[in-house]
Amino acid sequence: MLERFHVPHDEEIRIQHSELQRLSTEILIKSGLTNHHAKIATDVLLKADIRGVDTHGVSNMLRNYVQYFNEGSANPKPNWKITRETESCATVDSDQGLGVVVVPLCMEIAIEKAKKTGVGLVSIGNSRHLGMAAYHAMMALEHDMIGTCMTSSTTNVVPTHAGIPGIGTNPIAVAAPALSKAPFVFDAATSAIATNKVRVAQRIGVPLAPGWITDEKGNPIMVDTPLKQSDDPNDVAGIMQTPVGATRELGSHKGFSLGMVVDILGSILNGSLAGPLRTFKAHQNHFVAAYSIDAFTELNKFKKMMDEYLQILEDLPPVKGQKRVLYAGLMEEETTKERMKKGIPLHPEVINWLKDICSELTIEFDLSEGGIKDA
Amino acid sequence: MLEKFHVSQKDVVYINEEKLRSVTKQILMTQEIPEKDASLATDALIKADLRGVESHGVSNMLRAYLGAFKSNSLNPKPNWKIVKETASCATINSDNGLGIVVAPQAMEIAVEKAKKTGAGLVTMNNCGHLGMLAYHSMIASQNDMIGTTMAACSPRMVPTYSSVRALGTNPISYSAPADKLPDFVFDAAMTSVAGNKIVLASRLNVPLSPGWIADKDGNPIMDEVSIDELNHEDESKNLENRYNKGYISSSVDLLPFGGTREIGSHKGYSMAVVVDILAGILNGTRTAPTGEYKNQGHFVAAYDIDAFIDKKEFKELMDRYLQSFLDLPSNSEGKKVVYAGYLESIEENKRSKSGIPLHIEVVDWFKKISTELKTESL
Repeated sequence: MLERFHVPHDEEIRIQHSELQRLSTEILIKSGLTNHHAKIATDVLLKADIRGVDTHGVSNMLRNYVQYFNEGSANPKPNWKITRETESCATVDSDQGLGVVVVPLCMEIAIEKAKKTGVGLVSIGNSRHLGMAAYHAMMALEHDMIGTCMTSSTTNVVPTHAGIPGIGTNPIAVAAPALSKAPFVFDAATSAIATNKVRVAQRIGVPLAPGWITDEKGNPIMVDTPLKQSDDPNDVAGIMQTPVGATRELGSHKGFSLGMVVDILGSILNGSLAGPLRTFKAHQNHFVAAYSIDAFTELNKFKKMMDEYLQILEDLPPVKGQKRVLYAGLMEEETTKERMKKGIPLHPEVINWLKDICSELTIEFDLSEGGIKDA
Repeated sequence: MLEKFHVSQKDVVYINEEKLRSVTKQILMTQEIPEKDASLATDALIKADLRGVESHGVSNMLRAYLGAFKSNSLNPKPNWKIVKETASCATINSDNGLGIVVAPQAMEIAVEKAKKTGAGLVTMNNCGHLGMLAYHSMIASQNDMIGTTMAACSPRMVPTYSSVRALGTNPISYSAPADKLPDFVFDAAMTSVAGNKIVLASRLNVPLSPGWIADKDGNPIMDEVSIDELNHEDESKNLENRYNKGYISSSVDLLPFGGTREIGSHKGYSMAVVVDILAGILNGTRTAPTGEYKNQGHFVAAYDIDAFIDKKEFKELMDRYLQSFLDLPSNSEGKKVVYAGYLESIEENKRSKSGIPLHIEVVDWFKKISTELKTESL
């Protein structure tokens, strides 16, 4: 994440991983999830928080999920099922269950198929938000597989040359294991930035960079754009985003087209409406895949080559003004180590929300018990 | 393609598709390529020219391939084989064959596997250039499947925050069939612009756009710039190398798509890494960043639509989905929202009737080479 999105250090309050895990699990159970599902969903959320992907952790997402359950737009007890299946493929109906619950279970199906045929693909319809896409792709890592996850989501991105939004931010995640280095873990919206980053920008009160959003006619704005600091960071209505690349000349048609690939694999392939055809905002559809490395090459050879490859990228001489060249997943691994030790930094506004919701749901929330400590 | 890359009308000669096909195939066969392989390669080249993807058609690529055969850097009779295989996957050693010969056959294997298990994935090492990637993906769509193609290429891209080039342009292609509308066919380099477009810009003498290339220290150049202004070594010498020896030696460093970190260059960079992993490391290729790059690695995949949903339902839904983009209002007058593959399909219909426009310089080359090789002339 760009520096501007981090919670300012003088405002952050650190909370231990285990404590945030307990709170999230209990909040989800009180919202109607089974213990098993609440644990799965919490694991997805906490993985985002611990890796520094604050946009998709407890602070941004948990309250949305609670709100979905309250307003009835997500099913806390989904009876999801496989509707079609071959040796390597499956289509799943999520029964309006949260993606953070159903998708990890689908990725397990993909992994089991990949053990047999070399690859497993699952297209998931009738679902809801799946949190950090990388979580699901990363499930493949411990099985020595390459994992992919895509989400076909709400339309707030303006396609190249269009005057109104027509496609979702549609993220793509790919994870591949290494031997001793941090695994390669890529996870990015096919828009210039994730919508959740707009929410974070509103909470923190930082401007949006050139090329991130369009004016009311759909033309990319190529200067810094201040956003009004908002009490309701979830209110991103009216903000029109650009595909990665921002303008046609910088490659916005590539971001837009990759977004369409996500719609096709994540939605059309399971019979869901996508893009300008979408009718229901909370509706999200997904695609996960697992590729067994062993089906293509000798596992140890692959992992050794990955180590060497990633090290070469890390060792590239940086451009003036930058300290180093990164690869996707490296910084997140470093953040994980730091946050496991020092706790997860939360914005005071998020702590207040946690306090309120815990009191409402009669969940124990005690600052003095050592669960929360200052950095 | 951007308008500026199209050949200007005064420099154009229209050539009949069948004629160009016949001449191209004969030229390839003078290089000891078996007839069946020459047909495959010709089809891939002509498809690019028909679809308006000049950068990957006969004008740029045929002479580069000839150069590669002449300098013995490509094997005209590859004894390619599967070295590892499961029900859904295969790894192929291409025996230094041309990509436009081996990859279509690899895609056929992927399609056959997908008919049985629902998905087929093939990774290929030790391979030459594979032309327009979309060609291979489209083989899957013709079988009612979703197709993917990726190529791990020679070093051209400067990764985000790096001061030197390390990765290839590493293109990715996807193709998905529709019912009545043209299929969705995406094919793009993970750099802002394809390497071949720099060759075209040099031939057509048009400027490069902001965000396409890096300066000598690796910084994104965010102004329009002409190749001459760059003070790089002479690009025409690079063209010469390309045509005589079959490789690109351009000194122009390309940016990941997105251009700068803030606009998302790290996404173009990371997608290029994904390509290196699937099309390279997965088959043991020493890809661009290792500094030991010798040959390309490729990846093709086919996903059978029927394994997920009734193909009729899928294709009808695709029509509605694609039409909904064509129907979006545009952000300015004179612009129209299109999807990948739409304009290319219109162009293909047009060119198969009225001929393929070639630059006069290319026509001259054809005349010269046909005389030299004693083949049918254009």
